[in-house]
Amino acid sequence: MRRFEPDSTRDETLFRPIEQTGARFYLTVSVLVAIILFALVMYTRQVVLGLRVTGMMQPVTWGFYIVNFVFFIGISHAGTLISAILRLTQAEWRRPITRMAEVITAIVLAIGALHPILDLGRPDRVMNVFLFGRLQSPLLWDVTSISAYFAASTVYLFLPLIPDIALIRERGKKHRWLYTFMSWGWQGTPEQWKVLTRAINIMMIVVVPIAVSVHTVISYIFAMTLQSGWHSTIFGPYFVVGAIFSGIAALFVAMIAFRSAFRLQAYLKLVHFQQLAKLLLAMSILWTYFTFGEYLTGYYGGEPEEMKTLLYKVAGRYAPLFWTMVVCNFVVPVVLLSSRRLRTIPGILVSSITVLIGMWLERLIIVVPSLENPRMPFPGRIYIPSLTEISLFTGALALFALGFVLFSKFFPIVSVWEVQEGRALGKEETVERVESYLPDDEVSHAGA
Amino acid sequence: MRAPDPHAPSWHPRGIRVLQILSIVLMWAFLGGVVAWMVNVVQLSLSLGDALTVSVGISLVVIPVYTLVAGVLTYVFFGLQRGRRDPES
Repeated sequence: MRRFEPDSTRDETLFRPIEQTGARFYLTVSVLVAIILFALVMYTRQVVLGLRVTGMMQPVTWGFYIVNFVFFIGISHAGTLISAILRLTQAEWRRPITRMAEVITAIVLAIGALHPILDLGRPDRVMNVFLFGRLQSPLLWDVTSISAYFAASTVYLFLPLIPDIALIRERGKKHRWLYTFMSWGWQGTPEQWKVLTRAINIMMIVVVPIAVSVHTVISYIFAMTLQSGWHSTIFGPYFVVGAIFSGIAALFVAMIAFRSAFRLQAYLKLVHFQQLAKLLLAMSILWTYFTFGEYLTGYYGGEPEEMKTLLYKVAGRYAPLFWTMVVCNFVVPVVLLSSRRLRTIPGILVSSITVLIGMWLERLIIVVPSLENPRMPFPGRIYIPSLTEISLFTGALALFALGFVLFSKFFPIVSVWEVQEGRALGKEETVERVESYLPDDEVSHAGA
Repeated sequence: MRAPDPHAPSWHPRGIRVLQILSIVLMWAFLGGVVAWMVNVVQLSLSLGDALTVSVGISLVVIPVYTLVAGVLTYVFFGLQRGRRDPES
C-alpha cells in the first residue's frame, strides 16, 4: 500500500512549462512548422511527379527513406526499452529520465513508420498491405511488429502519466476538461495505486520482447535476402544493439536540450548523465564487436560478390563514410566516456551527437552499397539523394522536435509523482533492498 | 493528493465519462480491425496456397499481444473507477 500522496503544489519547475508560454515557445514552433510545411510541399511534388524526383533508380530502389525508416525505428528503442529495463532493475536514478525516454519512443515510432509510405510512389497502395498482404514477407512482419510496439509503448507512456495528469487537473490552470478526461477519475486511493502499479508492471515486461522483436524483424528485411552485405545471421542482434545505442544517444540529446530550456538542473543532475553514459559506452563497445564480427566473417569467407560489396564499403566509394562511422561510433564515445574527467555533460553531448551521425551512416552503409552492387546483371549505379529526400529527412527531424515540444506543453517532461515518490520512499526502499542482498552477519564463536 | 477544487466548473462530467468509455471501445474496435486483417491474410494464404503456417503462426502472436494491451487498458480504466473515493462524482 502506498504511503505517500503526490503533491500538486510542489515541483513548480516541472509545471511551469505547461502553464506559462513564452515567446521562445512560439518561435520554436513557428520554425519547426515552417520546415515541416516545406517538407510537405516537397512530398506533394513527389506524389504528383512520381519517384523520379528522388535519387532512386534501378537497381538502387531504397535510399534515404528506408535508411531513415531504420534509423528512426532504431531510436525508438531508447524509450520504452530503456525505461522498462531501468524500472525492472529498480534503478533509483531512472526517475527523472523514464518519461523523456517513453516520449521519444511514441513520437519517433510514428515518424519512422511513415517512411515506407514516403518510399511508395503511390501512397494509396499502402492499403494493399491490409487487403492483399502475404505474411511470409518480412515487410509484413514489420507492419505487425511496429504497430504492436506502437500500441504497447503508447499505453506504457500513458499509464505512468495518469497521476501527473491528475496533478495538473487539480492545479486547474488550463484545459481542465482535457486533464479530467485523460486522468480517468484518478484520485490516488490505495486501490487505484494498486491497479496502476500492477498494469505498469505488466506493460514493462511485455514491451521488452516486443521492442527486441521490432528491430530484429527490421533486420530480417535485409537478412532474409541473398543480397551481398545483407544475408547475415547476426543481423537481428546487430540491429537491436545499434538501435539501443542510437536510442540512448537520442535520449541524451533530448535530456540536455530540455535541461537547458526548462532549467531542470535540479532534476537532471550530472550523476544521471554519468550513469546512462556508462550504458552508452557499453553499447559502443558491443556495437564495435558486432561490426567487427560481421565484416571479418564476410572478409574471411572471400565469396566474390560479398567481397565486392565489402571492399566497396571499406576501401571504395563508401570508405570515407565507413571510417567516419567507425570514428563516430567507437573512437569518439570510447575516448570521451571512458575517462571520468571527460565524461562531463558537454563530453556526453558531443559523444551523443557523433553516435547519432555514426548510426545514421551505419544505416546508409547497410542499405545503399548492397543495392549499388547487385548480384543480378544490372549495371551498377551510384545513388545521390535529391533535394526532395533531404527535405523530407529534415522535415522528419523537425516533426520529432515539434512532437517533443508540444508534448512538453501539455504534460510534465519529468515524471512528477515518480520524483516525489523517490524523495518519500526511495531512500528507505533502497536501504531495505541493499540489506536484503547482503549476507547475514555471522558472529564467530571460534575463540569462545 | 489534494481534494479537487469544489469551485471548479464541472465540465460536463457525464460527457467526459462517455468520451472515456468511447476511448476504451475504440481500443477494442482497433483490436477487431487487427483480427479482421489477420483473418484476411490467412484466407489469402489459403486461396493462394502459400505459407499458411507462417500466417497462422504470426496471427497467433499478434492477436494475443493486442488483446493484452487492450485488456490492460480496460483493466486500468475500470479499476480506477472502482477505486474512487466518490464513485458517483
